[in-house]
Amino acid sequence: MNSNYQTSNNCNKQLARCYVPIQVMNRVYSSREALRRGTLFPELYRPYTPAEKERRGNYYG
Amino acid sequence: MDRDQMDLLVEIMEEHFVVLETALYLDNQPDDQNALRLHNESSRRYHQLLEMYETRYGPLRNTSMSDYPWGYVDDPWPWDVDFTNY
Repeated sequence: MNSNYQTSNNCNKQLARCYVPIQVMNRVYSSREALRRGTLFPELYRPYTPAEKERRGNYYG
Repeated sequence: MDRDQMDLLVEIMEEHFVVLETALYLDNQPDDQNALRLHNESSRRYHQLLEMYETRYGPLRNTSMSDYPWGYVDDPWPWDVDFTNY
């Protein structure tokens, strides 16, 4: 299917590949906390800190 | 909208969010029995809350049944509810 697919390979590097570990549900937030935090799963709760916001030039608001 | 109605509406939104989260998780891991149990409990609760709300305050969805006259268009619209200091 991809036999005709051409990549620009002029820099002699490998294409990027991504690996994502499987999430295993363990503890969860209460429904109130979940909606407030935007996720049900504590392991996925990663709010941007003010420092990060500054570094990103406030781009994400 | 009085406090009781708003409490119930917020509870519905919270339970809805849990059901969405467990559904997305289960799409990837259909064999997780704990997640499925949580999903089913939340789904039952969500539908109970919806029914409770609609019985008291009228239809939340235009697929719901309505008393006469058609109640779906009654105020307040969702975007008119002020949740700022909830």
